Amino acid sequence: MSIDWLTVAAQIVNFLVLVWLLQRFLYQPISEAMRRREARIEDRLSEAKAAREDAEDEARRLREERAALDQERQGLLEQARDEAAELRRDLNAELREEMESKRAAWQRQLEEERGDFARRLQRRAGQQVLHITERVLADFAGSDLSERIAETFLSRLKTLDAATRDRLAEAAAEAESAVVTTGHPIAPATRTKITRALREAINQDIPVNYKDDEAGLLGARLIIGEQTVEWSAARHLKQLGVALDEILDTEGHRAPATEKADGGDAGDQETEAEGSAT
Amino acid sequence: MEISPDTWVLAEWHGWRLTATVGFTWVVMALLVLGSWAITARLSSGESVSRWQVMLEVIVTAIRDQIKEVGTDDPDRYLPFIGTLFLFIAAANILSIIPGYQPPTGSLSTTAALAICVLIAVPLFSITRRGLGAHLRTYIRPSPLMLPFNLISEISRTLALAVRLYGNVMSGTVIVGILISVAPFFFPVLMQLLGLLTGLIQAYIFAILAMVYIASASRARPDPDTDDRDKTGD
Repeated sequence: MSIDWLTVAAQIVNFLVLVWLLQRFLYQPISEAMRRREARIEDRLSEAKAAREDAEDEARRLREERAALDQERQGLLEQARDEAAELRRDLNAELREEMESKRAAWQRQLEEERGDFARRLQRRAGQQVLHITERVLADFAGSDLSERIAETFLSRLKTLDAATRDRLAEAAAEAESAVVTTGHPIAPATRTKITRALREAINQDIPVNYKDDEAGLLGARLIIGEQTVEWSAARHLKQLGVALDEILDTEGHRAPATEKADGGDAGDQETEAEGSAT
Repeated sequence: MEISPDTWVLAEWHGWRLTATVGFTWVVMALLVLGSWAITARLSSGESVSRWQVMLEVIVTAIRDQIKEVGTDDPDRYLPFIGTLFLFIAAANILSIIPGYQPPTGSLSTTAALAICVLIAVPLFSITRRGLGAHLRTYIRPSPLMLPFNLISEISRTLALAVRLYGNVMSGTVIVGILISVAPFFFPVLMQLLGLLTGLIQAYIFAILAMVYIASASRARPDPDTDDRDKTGD
């Protein structure tokens, strides 16, 4: 255990040299590198912090925008809902109105059809009645009936009005003969009565021919030149059919619009006028 | 048996003798400096860092943290001195596992030289930090009567530093030497391993104590804790 002072001095120098060398090659470079890295990391961290703040700002802005958009969308939805409800109400009202009008039209049509059907039915019934009457009269037509017809014709001749007589007399003056047509042959006595009554009525001795070849006449007809006087059941039946048609037509027109002018009386007058000779 | 590298002369030239102490000190210095230079020549301040650089950074950071823990607020100021003490002693002791190598710290001359460096560094750091007057006043605290005791304390702790390191390292070498002659297998290996541990601990103790002395002298008011750490150092 001895100390060599020369060695001590040498070691002191060695140690100081080592301190300098290590300071030069170890501590300083390492500290510098670490400081640089820390600075870099610090920069990165501050950059990251700034970026995060930016991102947060952006996120906040986006959140606010989204909230505004949500609100706007909500408003639009409300508006659209209101509009839809209004539209639905309108459409419902329109539809109800349309349905109402269609129903009314349908009902009107139904009424018309029913009226038409009733009128057709009435007309058909009337025609059927006339037809049956015609058939019955034709079936029962015989000598007795012909005689009755002739007598009726005779009485008609006697009761001719003045205007008809004048017309017949004028016609007789120009014509050669008068023709009496019946559906069935009539007795000679009756013929004589008719001839006499005719000559009295027109005050002329005109020859009278009798024809009985017209089937279904069911009456008698007098023809002098252009003038004709006829009495027959067929004509009455025809007049009845015309009257029936007129009544039914009038009724049919009156049915859809009851406030229409009533033409029933005029029809009756026309019917009465048919009775006179033409 | 050589128990001190001072007596082992490696070379002699014109009356100048190169002892093993100085020779192996140069070896240790060369290793430390070349190793540091090789690594720090390719330093990276980016993200990808080489393992060697990481190792150096860990060492430097650990030393700096230790300096800071002692209670100084400027570790970079003391880093070269304290760090070199630690690294030199640790390297010198660790290399003792290499056959034929004699740790220079096993020489009282080396440890005395290091202790003298500490003895000089303590007032130097104190004076540069607080000024000469303030430093001198620390010797007469708490009263001028304490001046001789303070001076004795300075000398004695320097002596203690030198002898503690020398004794530990030398004893390790001597024990291994004795064991090799008594039980040549296995036991010397175990003692070498123990020697590595002891060597590192001694390096740590030496550096920390030096730092404690410097810190206590550099402070405006000496911390009584540092005296306790001085006593518990060994």
